[in-house]
Amino acid sequence: MSVAAIKKSPLIEVRNLNLHFGAFHALKNVSVSFEAGQLIGLVGDNGAGKTTLIKVLSGIHKPNSGEVYFDGEKVREFHPKLAIKFGIETLQQSVGLCDNLSIARNFYLGREPIKRWFGIPFLDFKKMREASTKVIRTFGLRDNVSADDLVEMLSGGERQSIKIGRAVEFKNRVVIMDEPTNHLSVREREHVNELAQQMRDQGLLVIYITHDIHQVHKLADRIVIMENGEKVTDVAKHEMTADELEEVIRCGGRVVEKASEVAPS
Amino acid sequence: MTLSTRIFARRPDFGAIIGVALLFVVFSLIDFSGWWSGRTLGNILQFTAILGCIAIGQAIVIMVKEIDLSVGSVYGLTGIAYITLEADLGIPGAMLAAMTIAGSIGFLQAMAVIKGKIPSMIVTLGGLFAARGLIYVWTGGSVRTMPADSRAHWLNQLFGGELFGIDAAILWLALLIVLLSLVVWRTKFGNRLLATGGDENTALSQGIRTDRVKTVAFVLCSLLAGFAAILTLADDPRTHVTLGDLMELEAIAAAVIGGCLLTGGRGSLLGAVLGAFIITSVRYQMISLGAPASWYITFVGLVVIAALIFNQFLARWATKQA
Amino acid sequence: MMGLSIRQLVRQHSEIGIILIAILLVMFFSTTSFDRWATAYNLASIAQITATLGLLALGASLVMGTGEIDISVGSTFGIGALVYLGTVATIGPLPAMLLAAAAGAAIGLFNGFIVTRFGVSSLLLTLSTLLVFRGVAVALTDGFSFSVPYGERSGFLYQLFGGGDFLGVNTGFWWLILGLAVLMVFLYATPGGSRLLAVGGSAESARSRGIRVTRVKVRAFIICGVLAALAGTLEGGKLGFADGGMGRLMELQAIAACVLGGCALLGGRVSLVGVVVGAFVLSAIQSYLVVNGVRPQWFMLLLGVIVVAAAISDRHLRDWALRSR
Repeated sequence: MSVAAIKKSPLIEVRNLNLHFGAFHALKNVSVSFEAGQLIGLVGDNGAGKTTLIKVLSGIHKPNSGEVYFDGEKVREFHPKLAIKFGIETLQQSVGLCDNLSIARNFYLGREPIKRWFGIPFLDFKKMREASTKVIRTFGLRDNVSADDLVEMLSGGERQSIKIGRAVEFKNRVVIMDEPTNHLSVREREHVNELAQQMRDQGLLVIYITHDIHQVHKLADRIVIMENGEKVTDVAKHEMTADELEEVIRCGGRVVEKASEVAPS
Repeated sequence: MTLSTRIFARRPDFGAIIGVALLFVVFSLIDFSGWWSGRTLGNILQFTAILGCIAIGQAIVIMVKEIDLSVGSVYGLTGIAYITLEADLGIPGAMLAAMTIAGSIGFLQAMAVIKGKIPSMIVTLGGLFAARGLIYVWTGGSVRTMPADSRAHWLNQLFGGELFGIDAAILWLALLIVLLSLVVWRTKFGNRLLATGGDENTALSQGIRTDRVKTVAFVLCSLLAGFAAILTLADDPRTHVTLGDLMELEAIAAAVIGGCLLTGGRGSLLGAVLGAFIITSVRYQMISLGAPASWYITFVGLVVIAALIFNQFLARWATKQA
Repeated sequence: MMGLSIRQLVRQHSEIGIILIAILLVMFFSTTSFDRWATAYNLASIAQITATLGLLALGASLVMGTGEIDISVGSTFGIGALVYLGTVATIGPLPAMLLAAAAGAAIGLFNGFIVTRFGVSSLLLTLSTLLVFRGVAVALTDGFSFSVPYGERSGFLYQLFGGGDFLGVNTGFWWLILGLAVLMVFLYATPGGSRLLAVGGSAESARSRGIRVTRVKVRAFIICGVLAALAGTLEGGKLGFADGGMGRLMELQAIAACVLGGCALLGGRVSLVGVVVGAFVLSAIQSYLVVNGVRPQWFMLLLGVIVVAAAISDRHLRDWALRSR
């Protein structure tokens, strides 16, 4: 611990995290740390605890025990608002955009730019429109989509692009992508993966959650595998091939010893 | 706090059972109306039978995750149709016609919900007013009664008379509870009913025609409301335009007290009847106490709020594993 | 191309349907009522009814926008009228109005608190509070009615709150215009409005953006209660008396006006102009029946049919507009 304190502290550090849902032990003593400028692949089967872990990071769940540090500072209160303030953006497949609102409104939802007239906070439509139009153009949406169109008109890939654009535009430090390419066409999937790498290149921490180890192995710098609420493997990309990692997942936690022998840590 | 208490508490009608037990204790201690006298309990049971009949229908609709706000008006309309048509069609004809009207209102509402794809709340809120309006238009606000010789008709006696000193309505209710509980918990249809309410998409993917199940639930609910009207009027054949006014709220209250959660797939017919019993007996006590009638609806409202909150807590507590 | 642009129009302005219906009805009513409907006097009285119903429906539409529903507005309306009329003679119109608004806010707070704190269905809860406060209203008046002596009805402030006319129309109408303008600014041009619609569209998404969903919903319930009580104040001021049954059926008319006006029942889509036009259509139909000597009972029957028909046609119009891009 003293070593970690001397070194430049990681962007996110989690120590001995435990979380119970009733009798279900969802996170078992999980410790992990993430640095900026990395693309982390967080892999595991359904119910392995990966989504639960990121829900703690984005302030939706409060852990029963353990500590979370953002930028070396201990997190005392868990609320989505605080996570957003720190610069953590979570992209979930079906959550994050309100279908009934325009792209511009969605873009700034929760932190709307305002212009005060007589003390009344009016929305700054000009700014909202400009920023979201820029994102629409740079993130490859169809040409006939405008910032005033409702989100319900967009395809799945376009929605992901909007969310990613929003994360970049707000100068976030951490972007968590939860199964970002489910239900997407092949072309849209490639587009989203490109965007993930772009964000990493810009110095963001990208946590990419999936159960497709082959896909994420191509993108990621580091792979973290979870199983039954525990972290079972945490290796740099070049240390193990995708097939070896897949073997780890397939056998659950049982080959962990073998795997960690292979990976000099 | 043993496992068996939790299993018992997990019963949807747990709250209602506790409520009834509490009610008996309280009303035995503080007695305004001669609670244990045969006449009081007899009267309360008869009202319970009528309200319980409607509440069972409501519970079935709530089990498929819909709601029927029109039952009070359907109850009134069926009753008025029964009395009015009796002059032309005779007792059997009028009864059949009245029940047909009730059933077709249920069917129409089901169609609007399923084909029109709009929430049942709005459809049946509309149905509530349409049927009530129909009552006003039809009767012009006048009071109707039935001639004495029609009252003595055997069919009328079957629904409104007495057997071994017990009101026929109570026996009919007992029959309905047993029959419908068997249907809900022991038959294929009941299984589909619960599946439709629990998770409609899953039910659909398993090949269950959820639209048919819902239609049956709505029609059944309207028929039960109509049947309640016939039970009422066979006993005391007088109608006025406000017949069944606010009855939908009492029925929903009874179903909610009985453990229906509006989240579908859960509920209890017996609970709904017990809920009806609680509401009716409290009303009876309040009247005996000389409380103004207006406090009664305030009270029903408060009871529903308390039941809603209590059942929510209970459901959360019971589903938590020990 | 033409069809496409109409679709776009319908998609973005859900009030189009009701405005068309209103125009057709006005034309139909003016030509078939032998000049009894389209008179200045009758139109002014329609404007007054529209005013109270409109304010009531505006509040209900905000709650509907968050994905909840408030059926208790009918009782809140009655309580508002009773509080105002019960106190106006002793403490004056302005404090009485504020008191009524406070009562409305309290009812709204209660509804909102129970719904968000306990996760209870808002339909059932507000149905219960409808009963509770209806009973309270009847008990308050003890079966009689509250009325204001004629001598008290001439003051400027009394006339301001529904008791008089301005430019030939009841002052309630101008309150409706004011309320509509304020709410439109709130809903379409401030962060609060965006967040309200976001909560109704997808509460989960709104929460993930750091919006405090509970607070937004409670606030909507409170605004709804205040508006309902104000509508009651205006109606009470107009009539000069009120009894415990005041506001009966108003809850259904308010919901009907919302649905007619193109608000989505499940939340996320509110058209304030549509709601007011919806209230106008209902008032116009009611008045048409009256001037043509149709028994008022028919209105109840019609109201039920209109609500269902409006909901179905709104649904189909919406589906059609969304079908292709």
